[in-house]
Amino acid sequence: MVRSKRRQELSRLSFKLWDFTGTALLNFFMFLFILLYLSPLPFMIIASLTPSDQFLDRNAPILPSDRETFHYEGRDLIVYNVPMEDGEKHLALYKASRQSSEFIDPENPEAGLITWQGNWRALKAIYHFKPTLENYNEFLGLTRLPLLFKNTIIVAIISEIGVLFSSIAVAYGFSRFRIPGVQYIFFLLIATIMIPSNITLVPTYFLYSGHVLNWIGTWLPLIVPHFFGSAILIFLLRQNFKSIPRDLDEAAMLDGAGPLRILISVILPQSIPVVTTVALLHFFYIWNETRNASLYLSISPNLQTVSFGIQRTQSFFFTPEALMVGATVVMVIPVIVLFLSQRFFMQDMVVTQIEK
Amino acid sequence: MAVANQSGVISKNKPVRTTRLQQEARIGLLFLAPWLIGFILLKALPILAAFVFSLTNFEMLTPETTKFIGLENYIRFFGDSQAGGSLFGSLGYFLLTVPLEMIVALALAAIFTSERLKNKRFSQTLIFMTSIIPATSIFFIFRGSLQYAQRLIFEPMKLPPIEGFGLLLPFMALWSIGPGFLIMYSAMESVPNEIYEAARVDGAGPFARFVNITLPMISPAIFFTLVVNLTGAFGGAVLLDRGYILNFSLSPMESYINSTMFTQGDLGYASALAWVTFTVMMTITIILFRSARRWVYFPEEDDNGEI
Repeated sequence: MVRSKRRQELSRLSFKLWDFTGTALLNFFMFLFILLYLSPLPFMIIASLTPSDQFLDRNAPILPSDRETFHYEGRDLIVYNVPMEDGEKHLALYKASRQSSEFIDPENPEAGLITWQGNWRALKAIYHFKPTLENYNEFLGLTRLPLLFKNTIIVAIISEIGVLFSSIAVAYGFSRFRIPGVQYIFFLLIATIMIPSNITLVPTYFLYSGHVLNWIGTWLPLIVPHFFGSAILIFLLRQNFKSIPRDLDEAAMLDGAGPLRILISVILPQSIPVVTTVALLHFFYIWNETRNASLYLSISPNLQTVSFGIQRTQSFFFTPEALMVGATVVMVIPVIVLFLSQRFFMQDMVVTQIEK
Repeated sequence: MAVANQSGVISKNKPVRTTRLQQEARIGLLFLAPWLIGFILLKALPILAAFVFSLTNFEMLTPETTKFIGLENYIRFFGDSQAGGSLFGSLGYFLLTVPLEMIVALALAAIFTSERLKNKRFSQTLIFMTSIIPATSIFFIFRGSLQYAQRLIFEPMKLPPIEGFGLLLPFMALWSIGPGFLIMYSAMESVPNEIYEAARVDGAGPFARFVNITLPMISPAIFFTLVVNLTGAFGGAVLLDRGYILNFSLSPMESYINSTMFTQGDLGYASALAWVTFTVMMTITIILFRSARRWVYFPEEDDNGEI
């Protein structure tokens, strides 16, 4: 009796231990994966905080740093680590030349110029760790970021409403109704996804130009097409709607619910995760969309969107630090949106919606 | 009586059934209407125009010399080794990156459904984040961090240096798993809990539950990801724009079409190339759709296996 009780306790303890180990291992593995997965990302942050001339010096340290300089005769001279006969000395480069260069000693400038034989390019400059926000300041000075953010958010929200309404309706039509020949319409939908997008660019531009619709220089080419649904998102939603069993539909139908009612109160509550995914994907698509924005908004600077605006600045300053600053800036709002949308993925949320 | 009743049922039943079907089809078409109208108004004409271009020698800089040349552009494709190379390059890109991308996305989604995982919101944001970075910046991040690794790890440890950009493709693929991961994760979250509970009661372990419940239940989402990755590799529609301007693309075939179109301005030949690519893609897609009847599971199988 006592032994069996003890054994029970022991097994419960070992189960608990096993459970704890499993949880710990899983979380540790995830942590390790994310660490490895994001390991190239620090470069982005570091490069965006690095002064631009540091990229030109092969011997520069990795972290953003400031070069030590010496102010002499109205100029800022760069201090190098120079090997001399009596050991290494920190000297400021006064006059550079390939075979021999002239230096000045910052600690003893009165001693005059010191000539050093050798190639000055092999010398190492003295650096101190000092991150700079100068790249950001410069970038923000060139890019009207608040305006770009405002424009993109307006375009994204309007087209989001359109794309969600139409895509959900069309996907519902594809997944729940017996329509003669519907497989051919679906085939057509898939075909429009497959057509290389650039090939219709010229005729589409013609369609939107002054010859037909006169939409160039407005947001309409970026918004209106989404109100007819996005083929790729319709396909995604249809896959999900079709995998929902019809039992509840039929029960609702017997209760006298019409097709629209079934969509709203039976299908959608069971599809919150996928609808959230579709909404997020469309938002990020609009956020990063550059091709159409560059085609249709080049002539109206006040309407430009963030991704196009940032690429425009970068096309003037195609440097690592400008690219990294741009990439960091463009990511801020999507990351916040992504973080805030997470609760819609949790299953308990879906279940409570059904119970209501 | 019986005869009259029977005939009454028949004469009543038949028209009622057909009208009900007709009504269902009509309501269904009403739901399809937004896309159909959009297709007719905004898509059909440009697509038709792109097809007509492929039969002409349309040059963007000299549109006035355009004339109808029949199938000459398509014949030219068969003599163009660079076009064939790009097409196979796209196929290779698809075969190389997609399995990696999909397996990692699937594994991550499976881990994320576990209740034991902490800080899901945070981790999910971190994993998706990299899929938003513009492509040009990704290239610099890759190059820069490779140099860092070289200086911090490989040189001090006296290891041979990492060569070239062979790693760029798998790296790019991994840093693009965001959408696939999100789609599979949301599909897994939509699987009703009761099914898992029933399997657990029957004594199925986590692995058996994953293979016998999760995989079949999310097979429509897996199929979708497969098709979308295929179109991405050949230059069709994409889920996430990576901020490409006109002529840059990661897909070899799309790059070739773009350079024919924008750099050389040869719109006629570029259109023909696009239609050849489209035919190849569509063939693979039809094969995929055929195979889907065997492995994509839908609860209702009244569609005669049509997926």
